[in-house]
Amino acid sequence: MTALLEVAGASKSFPGVRALDGVDLALEPGSIHALLGENGAGKSTLIKILTGVHRPDEGRMTLAGEPLELASPREAIARGIGAVHQERNLIPRFGVAENILLERPPARRGLIDRAAMDAEARRLMEPLGLDLDPRAPVRTLSVAQMQLIEIAKALSLDARVLVLDEPTASITPHETRTLFRLLRGLRDEGAAILFVSHKLEEVFELCDTVTVLRDGRLACAARPIGTLDRAAVVRLMIGRDERAVAAEPRRPTGTPALELRGVATDLGHRDVSLSVRPGEILGLYGLVGAGRTELARAVVGAAAVTQGEVRVDGEPVRIANVSEALARHRIGYVSEDRKGEGLVLMHSVRRNAAITVWRRLARALGWLPNAAEREAVAPFVERLQVRTPSLEQPVGLLSGGNQQKVSVAKWLAADVRVLIVDEPTVGIDIQTKAYLHELIHELAAAGKAVLLISSDMPEMVALADRIVVMGGFRVLGEVENDRDTAAMGEAILSLIHGEAA
Amino acid sequence: MTAVAPSSRLRALLRTDWFGLAVACGVGAAALAAVQPTFLSGFNVYVMLTAFSLSILVALSQMVILAIGQLNLSVGAIGGLAAITFAGVMDVWGAPVPLAVLAGLAVGLLAGLLNGVVTHRTGLNAFVVTLATLAIFKGVNVGITEAQPFYGIPESVKSFGNARLGPVPLIAFVGVAATLAVLVFLRRAVLGRQLLAVGGNAQAAALSGIDVGRVVVAAHVISGVLAAVAGMLAVARLQLGQPTIGDDWLIISFAAPVIGGAVLAGGHVSVGGTCLGVAVVVLINNALVLLNVDPFAVQLLLGVLILLAVALARFREPA
Repeated sequence: MTALLEVAGASKSFPGVRALDGVDLALEPGSIHALLGENGAGKSTLIKILTGVHRPDEGRMTLAGEPLELASPREAIARGIGAVHQERNLIPRFGVAENILLERPPARRGLIDRAAMDAEARRLMEPLGLDLDPRAPVRTLSVAQMQLIEIAKALSLDARVLVLDEPTASITPHETRTLFRLLRGLRDEGAAILFVSHKLEEVFELCDTVTVLRDGRLACAARPIGTLDRAAVVRLMIGRDERAVAAEPRRPTGTPALELRGVATDLGHRDVSLSVRPGEILGLYGLVGAGRTELARAVVGAAAVTQGEVRVDGEPVRIANVSEALARHRIGYVSEDRKGEGLVLMHSVRRNAAITVWRRLARALGWLPNAAEREAVAPFVERLQVRTPSLEQPVGLLSGGNQQKVSVAKWLAADVRVLIVDEPTVGIDIQTKAYLHELIHELAAAGKAVLLISSDMPEMVALADRIVVMGGFRVLGEVENDRDTAAMGEAILSLIHGEAA
Repeated sequence: MTAVAPSSRLRALLRTDWFGLAVACGVGAAALAAVQPTFLSGFNVYVMLTAFSLSILVALSQMVILAIGQLNLSVGAIGGLAAITFAGVMDVWGAPVPLAVLAGLAVGLLAGLLNGVVTHRTGLNAFVVTLATLAIFKGVNVGITEAQPFYGIPESVKSFGNARLGPVPLIAFVGVAATLAVLVFLRRAVLGRQLLAVGGNAQAAALSGIDVGRVVVAAHVISGVLAAVAGMLAVARLQLGQPTIGDDWLIISFAAPVIGGAVLAGGHVSVGGTCLGVAVVVLINNALVLLNVDPFAVQLLLGVLILLAVALARFREPA
């Protein structure tokens, strides 16, 4: 069968990084093609070339046999190439309908026909099982709903080629099943679909062919999915076998490094009690919206504790702000929102990693020599194997996994006693994830008290010693981790649903 | 559907950009009328409406640029250049009025085009670009006029500037027409929605197939044309082509949209709010004249008001 959209020998470089190096990809009509690879392997770059966001430095593209040059996303859409990008691409204040039909609203003589727009939007949402008010501003929607709106928007193009970059990252299993049914329907009607996901189970369930990228090159091109199994795919992605972190039980005793007693906050927490000892990893599990990140923010002084007691090393303390948490109590917080809160993307790796130790490094009059910063952070950047051409590279140019490593490096450099890690591996590839897991183990082994917030059950079971389950801004219960994923999952879920009953 | 509880309806009202301002305007006007009966005199109303009609055009000119998340420092300079062009072609060449109006509009259009194209092509911040063009337009203005006004304004223009129906000045109709046009444009026109989409999330707009460059240029052109209309109305009002027209527009151009709820990051502006923002400023000016207060207090009060408006917006919608 001839390919509908084909790329041959595509290469693309960014300052300091060769993101894509002679890659071929052929999308055939009536087929769902998986594109896999670790973060930084070049998937996003390839997708951006296919959708007209980037122009390749080298290589040719053809659409249905004709040479294709795309100068902008606008041209890609006009040629029938639709996409759901990884970044959120909605206009927050615009309504659902207007977002779905953003670039071609129904209009008469230049004026938008709102009624027609609403009707059209309802028609497009229906197959996705979305029943939303077409006029509701998208910023009032949940993350899952926004994700589905983006999918509806891409489907609305009646595209011949559909590119989906992590479309299931934030939707429920039920919504995922609905989406897959739809995609299979489109495939059977002859669409060529490119599907990118970190969830390998989904790839095996949905896709027909697999292309794997590693370090910007092809690790395997268009292999039928039946010829591969999970282990083989992982080997192609990371270049060796997957390894699991060996979990050694820890039973540290002694005064808790951090303890909360009946804490209430002005964010809405009530009667929260927990403690974490030096050398221990305490997991904080809960559904999205359980109040875990908010609790972390209150602990580091970014929100007010209104009742109860926070104790550091057994002493009751009042932490007024983040800088006091760090400087006086040596409590660090690795944010879940790397781009928004964790890192200054325009600044170099060095500046970002050293930001927590500026005060310590500063000489008279606040003079801060670059060399001192470099000296302070280089060992950590090296130990975490951050892939960067130099310490002077702007963080924004690194891949997501490497950005996360820099934000961990920053807290390692700070030499904290208590480290709160919030969703450390969301959107991170398998290899970096394993590194981060090892690192968190090492931190605990070195005597740090770690408070781990994660919604990833296997991660929780692999890392935590005890797991506190939260829901509705309260503690629902606590379980000792016996490293048995199935049993732990059951124990935790019964705590969560016990509350609902 | 069941009836909406009154408290939630009130909350919805409080969340709008205009409600608090409308109340403030109403209370302010009532208080003034009580203290100073001349406030409601036909002449005073005429004076206020005249000031309003000019200022609303200036404010809309800025608001259109705020909508795409940029700033235009050259609004006043464009207005000034259009004003002296309008007056100059009539005074020096005896051009008929309609032709002079077209010349003024063309100056606004070209100036906006320059701002838009340079901003888009270079990728420079509009703040810097319009700071530069502000100096350029002002320089051209002074070069042409040598800082002397054009006096030869036809009677028809002068009488239009002075004419009124009861307490309503004729130029108010221009202001109202422009306001309605901008309102419909931003609510319903495809290009207007694209302006707000680019302001709301330029990246998303581009990935959705909107030609962001075209939208940016269009916004600057519209801004330039609105500034030009304001400049020409100022000529009619002053009865001469004063080169300093536009020099004092900067504060009101930002103050009214911001008081009216515009988000400086782009994507949200309110035509109604901006009207009320202008009204508040006009009322304050008028009150201070009627009550014989030192003019410096006007500036002071305006500054406080801007801070209040921004603080209020933050309270209404925590980031």
